[in-house]
Amino acid sequence: MSDFDREIESELSRILGPVDRASIPAWRAPASGGAMRRLFGGAGAALGAKLLTGFAVAALAAAGAGVASEVAVTGSLNPNDWGQQVVQQVNTCKDTLRASGVRGIGQCVSAFAKQHGKLVSDEHRASNSRDNGNHGKNNNKGSNNGQAGEHGKPSNLPHQP
Amino acid sequence: MRRRAGETAINALREEEAAGEPDYIPGSAEDFERLYRCSYRRILVTLIGMLGDPAAAEDCTQEAFVRAFRAWDRWKPGAPAEAWLHRIAINVGVSHWRRQRLREAGELVKRLGRPAAPASPATIAENTELGRALRKIPAKQAAALVLRHYHGYTNREIGEALGVPERTVASRLAAAKARLRVELADWVE
Repeated sequence: MSDFDREIESELSRILGPVDRASIPAWRAPASGGAMRRLFGGAGAALGAKLLTGFAVAALAAAGAGVASEVAVTGSLNPNDWGQQVVQQVNTCKDTLRASGVRGIGQCVSAFAKQHGKLVSDEHRASNSRDNGNHGKNNNKGSNNGQAGEHGKPSNLPHQP
Repeated sequence: MRRRAGETAINALREEEAAGEPDYIPGSAEDFERLYRCSYRRILVTLIGMLGDPAAAEDCTQEAFVRAFRAWDRWKPGAPAEAWLHRIAINVGVSHWRRQRLREAGELVKRLGRPAAPASPATIAENTELGRALRKIPAKQAAALVLRHYHGYTNREIGEALGVPERTVASRLAAAKARLRVELADWVE
């Protein structure tokens, strides 16, 4: 061993020796859970909550826009008026399509029916909650189809007043 | 317990075991806690020697033990537990050292604005000539130097602990000393 090696050993002992006598912090075993815990805990959970909130807000906005557009299309909140309005809306749409070289009124009816079906569905849902007092647990499952025509999957057909 | 210079760490561990120290059982939380108490300081010392930054060394030591705990049920009793821990700790230290180098400029600015901390054994280690010189050499070289000249591992033991050939350890030590000779030219004279 060279002098330089001895110098290094001596100096390392001098400077690291006090560290070697330092107190030892208590050991706490890390919580188990691995990748799933990392994903669903901490920042992952916060990010997930933000995403869910974002989707919920977007869904709410879309539903609101659907109702608003229905009101805008028909000019009324009363569903009975919509049937009367549909003929006028479809005729206007048909003229526009014909002018652009497209034949048939399927797209026009479909567009209106889609909006209308959504609103009818919402109405049924609200009606279920009120009538059954089950706070909406039974909705959208299709299990009550056929009960006085008030439940089940909303139709895509235009509303018959 | 600090070792005398020249005494090999692994032989000392074997002596401890021969004196009645029971073997560790992989996956046993109680045994891991015992291993933690026995080896925490030596791992911390190695990382301070490697990184020259006591706070970072403490963080890396904790990180190393957390990683070791997660792999504890896969530890093979045939290998000395402290050497296994050193391997994990040095990997953690090298990763930290690389990140530290990348943000060296930012660190310098922070240090200039940092108020003076009260002296502690760790800061003394950081502020000596050798401590400063160790910070300037690559982390793996510094680790080899501390393992060899402080803990008393042989080159072969260091190689086994770090998973590198003995000649790699020898070349790292030679490179570390050559660099230290330059850095400590005034101190040696």
